[in-house]
Amino acid sequence: MTPSNIDIRDAFFDELYNIAKNDPRVILLVADMGAFSLVKFKNDFPDQFINVGIAEQNMVSVAAGLALAGRKVFIYTIIPFITQRCYEQIKIDLCSMNLPVTILGVGPGLTYGNDGPTHHGTQDIAIMRALPEITILNPSSAIMAAASMNIGYKNSGPTYIRIDKGKIPEIYNQNSDFSDGLAELKNGGELTVIATGIMVHQALKAAQELNNQSISTGVVDLYRIKPLNKEKLSRIIDNSKRLATLEENSIVGGIGSAISEFLTDNGKTIPLKRIALPDQHCFESGDRESLLAFYNLDTNGIMKTVSEWIKK
Amino acid sequence: MATEQILKLKEKANWVRQRVLEMITTAGKGHIGGAFSCTDILTALYYGGILRFQAADPKWIDRDRFILSKGHSAAALYVILSDLGYFPSSELSRFQKENCILGAHPSLKIPGIEADTGSLGHGLGIGVGLALSAKLGKKDFMTFVLLGDGECCEGSIWEAAMFASGRKLNNLVGIVDKNSLCSTDFLENCVNMEQLEQRWKTFGWDAVTVDGHSLEELVAVLSQTRSRQSEKPLMIIANTVKSKGVSFMEGKPEWHHSVPNKEQFEIAKKELSEE
Repeated sequence: MTPSNIDIRDAFFDELYNIAKNDPRVILLVADMGAFSLVKFKNDFPDQFINVGIAEQNMVSVAAGLALAGRKVFIYTIIPFITQRCYEQIKIDLCSMNLPVTILGVGPGLTYGNDGPTHHGTQDIAIMRALPEITILNPSSAIMAAASMNIGYKNSGPTYIRIDKGKIPEIYNQNSDFSDGLAELKNGGELTVIATGIMVHQALKAAQELNNQSISTGVVDLYRIKPLNKEKLSRIIDNSKRLATLEENSIVGGIGSAISEFLTDNGKTIPLKRIALPDQHCFESGDRESLLAFYNLDTNGIMKTVSEWIKK
Repeated sequence: MATEQILKLKEKANWVRQRVLEMITTAGKGHIGGAFSCTDILTALYYGGILRFQAADPKWIDRDRFILSKGHSAAALYVILSDLGYFPSSELSRFQKENCILGAHPSLKIPGIEADTGSLGHGLGIGVGLALSAKLGKKDFMTFVLLGDGECCEGSIWEAAMFASGRKLNNLVGIVDKNSLCSTDFLENCVNMEQLEQRWKTFGWDAVTVDGHSLEELVAVLSQTRSRQSEKPLMIIANTVKSKGVSFMEGKPEWHHSVPNKEQFEIAKKELSEE
């Protein structure tokens, strides 16, 4: 694992810049949302960048109209605003019509820690997962972030990408192939932790410590939450004695629910521990790191949860 | 347009209403009120030489785009699309039945339909996207969107309104089928929807009010839309009567979604055929 020098959000938008440069059909709509790496995009492609104002419902419908006219559209703002505020527009204008629009939601989980529940992205996986046509990506590294933009660009239907911020260690290389939808980063026979987004890094740290305690722990990066790669998932599950899911999303409806549904639907009986944010709005004050620790989603907290579970 | 042609359009509108009446009565469900209030508007658009389209090539790239944002009025549009050759008229008699392409609300899967609608407040924004794409790509197709006045309660309509005028989308034409009713009540009992024309002007649009059942007025205003010199999008407020054409249904909230019984059907059919 080598430290990444690039902010993951810049990795997303730098790649979008390259895509837009080569295809004039590409257009980016933002609902009064910026990013340092978007300044160059806006300056160099003024006809491909539109700030629609603080009007997310309209942004989604306009994106649908642009896509109906043959354009490849990306839309961008903070997760709750671009998923929950305009959910019905996404359902009908993008999904029911199966249009090639990529939804870029920034701020998974408690990214906007101090800003409170209005800005927390903690229910988006649950609601977006309920939409039939959509592809959902939750990248865990800068290289994957860039790749995910291309997946959205090439998709003939709607894509939702959770955009993270900050410098995150790189775990892939430029030749990595992300068509599988998940990656088995570490093998382990006793326990397999299925994580998504930046929680993959917490899973890797926890796995390291659990392995030191002679609990053979594997880690799966479930970067494509929908559709699930059922075949590969099945094989991984069949080679594990226990499963844990780890996500920065509410315990209701996230990847823990997705995996639980998968086990039930496929008659797989294996102990499963879902590790996620509790079913409550977070009014605690603090940055993302301290809030994750508060909710036992830091390495120590995860270790504690897993150890107590295994001991039972 | 010559008087003779206007007369033909009126006959066509009547014919459409009769087919809608039959479809909805046969199906046992549907929205007669809203379909009848916008039948003349749809007739003017499709038969009055306003919309550019090729029924044999529904996806013709340079076609004008028409979006029925008040999707519950689909029955009237289906009759017209079928009559123009987009799909066989046999589908009409199976309206809303098993394996019929025609559901209660329009879907992109139906030839001639440009967007899925049914939930109100979506169509104008979609139309804005289409008009914006035409501007960016220097295409000369026009985009027309038909709204209800009840639909104008949706905040998303006004989001789209601000954005459209901000982008100077003079290739976008909206029409409000202003029948003064929503689904269950008179609109004035719910909200203040007064001075609708002035509201659109305040939002940066050109706006004009016409009699939504006068094919002369509708064709006159719509035929000017392509050659307008204004930079603004245009909203046409069409004053209409819900369930227009059937005396016992006109202006009655209950006919938003009611289905006539046998006796009512015969009376309605007689009234429409005598018009």
